[in-house]
Amino acid sequence: MFLAALAVFPLVQLLRLSLSDVQVQNLHRDWPFIGLENFINGFTSGVLTDGLLNTLVFVVIVTIIGLIGGIAAAVALRGTGQVTGALLGLMVFIWALPPVVNGSVWKFLLADDGLFNSMLSLFGLSSFPFLYDERYALISVAVVNAWAVIPFNALVFRAAVLNVPDEQFEAAQLDGATPRQEFWYVILPALRPTTLVLGVLTIVYAFRSFDFVYVMTKGGPGASTQTLPYLSYQQAFVGYDFSAGAASAVVAVVVVLALAAVYARSVLKEESE
Amino acid sequence: MSSSTVTVATPRTAHGRRRTRKSPAAIAIRIILAIVYVIPLLWIVLTSFKDKDDVIGSSTAIFFQPTLDAYRAAFTPELLAALGQSLVIATTSTAIVLAVAIPAAYGLARVRGVLPTIGLSLLIVLQMVPQTATVIPFFQVFGGLRLLDTNLAVILADAALMTPFAIILLRPFFRAVPPALEEAASVDGARSFRIFWSIVLPVVRNGVATTATLVFLIVWGEFLYAVNFFLTPGNYPLSALLAQQVSSYGINWPGLMALGVITSLPILVLFSFTYRLLKEGLTVGAVK
Repeated sequence: MFLAALAVFPLVQLLRLSLSDVQVQNLHRDWPFIGLENFINGFTSGVLTDGLLNTLVFVVIVTIIGLIGGIAAAVALRGTGQVTGALLGLMVFIWALPPVVNGSVWKFLLADDGLFNSMLSLFGLSSFPFLYDERYALISVAVVNAWAVIPFNALVFRAAVLNVPDEQFEAAQLDGATPRQEFWYVILPALRPTTLVLGVLTIVYAFRSFDFVYVMTKGGPGASTQTLPYLSYQQAFVGYDFSAGAASAVVAVVVVLALAAVYARSVLKEESE
Repeated sequence: MSSSTVTVATPRTAHGRRRTRKSPAAIAIRIILAIVYVIPLLWIVLTSFKDKDDVIGSSTAIFFQPTLDAYRAAFTPELLAALGQSLVIATTSTAIVLAVAIPAAYGLARVRGVLPTIGLSLLIVLQMVPQTATVIPFFQVFGGLRLLDTNLAVILADAALMTPFAIILLRPFFRAVPPALEEAASVDGARSFRIFWSIVLPVVRNGVATTATLVFLIVWGEFLYAVNFFLTPGNYPLSALLAQQVSSYGINWPGLMALGVITSLPILVLFSFTYRLLKEGLTVGAVK
């Protein structure tokens, strides 16, 4: 009951806000009902459309790099040696660090006078505007986000690789399989169910990502890194247009609902076996 | 090539442990991972010991005169207050989340039917809702209740954010407890709360520890609620202080990195105690 009140009630309020005209003056007074006007405005002005497109690009980059990187790391780190163990531990520690810390470091590394650009200048190249150019900022933040999620994915994939029965590897080795063939014909098929679930989790993670955008670019330059979660925050708490922010958030929630339905179905199906 | 010769040529490891073959690709991936994950961590620590003038320029990238200036400048009463705030908020939120999530997860693991299934689906959805979708209504509600600028607002919001996640993470651990264990105890005449407390809970302590750790970690790093619900920056926890400084103009990098290190140290302590648990627990709870 406590849970229902605290978790569902905000969503109801959010929906009401998105259908009303609420600015900072009347946040605690009457909310005039205006129907779908907030949504229509958002889409006709292009703000919401751009937000959706940015989110899509962001999610695709994070998911692809996050999954491929996770599988690669899991396979490379499946041994039990000390170096492997230390590296895995370090990666999981970084995953456990607050996103605001990781985001700060990457903002520094990618800055004009940061490590990456200092290295480029050593090779006589001019500095690259990782975070200051509308064309690259979104990609940079997405790659950093993927970097942050790879350790978790690697840990889960690794458990799945370790679950493959020894006999399968032995059989493959008896048949003279190269490590590459072993990967394609033994490991990869065994990872399929894990990949599906982690795929959905990574998509959702990327979709709701807010921290890295806030820390690294604040949605800029221009509106080039305004993903839906950031857009709704920006509209509500920087522009003080609470109902516009709520409308953007509602669009995000609808997408999440669809994703969650897919995920819930696969989880429930797995349990009723 | 006959299979018997290959068998002879294939050395087996003595303990039946899987023989992992070292392919060049695997080694290359390890080197890339080491570079990509060690450098940022190294960089944050190195920079935090640098002088402001040594930050820029490649000549002082690795070799520089280490200084504690950044830390000295960072250790202000403001920082200690923020550290205290972080501890209070993270500990209280974690306690509330566990108090709600443990019974709920136990119930959802034991009861079958339509209602629990609906409940579970709802939790999965709630767990995935973007935080920015709840910060706006919470801001309005807490404003109406005159709770803005209090710890209670942030703690309640964090607890509401983490409870669905905690229930979903805990439930598989409870499901793994054999019902026969409880039946035996109830035959002996133990009451149901006693059974839960002294029989079931000890069995799932790893799950509880994993969940508590994760909730604490996430609340420790949470700053969206903190930045918006605290009206006076003097009340900020560490994460919010860091978020505020990183987005200000003319960033003092050594100072910021020192603050990052200070924010991360408690995580390092917690992590060193719970890494083994996390390694096991994450793979059980997160995907099931």
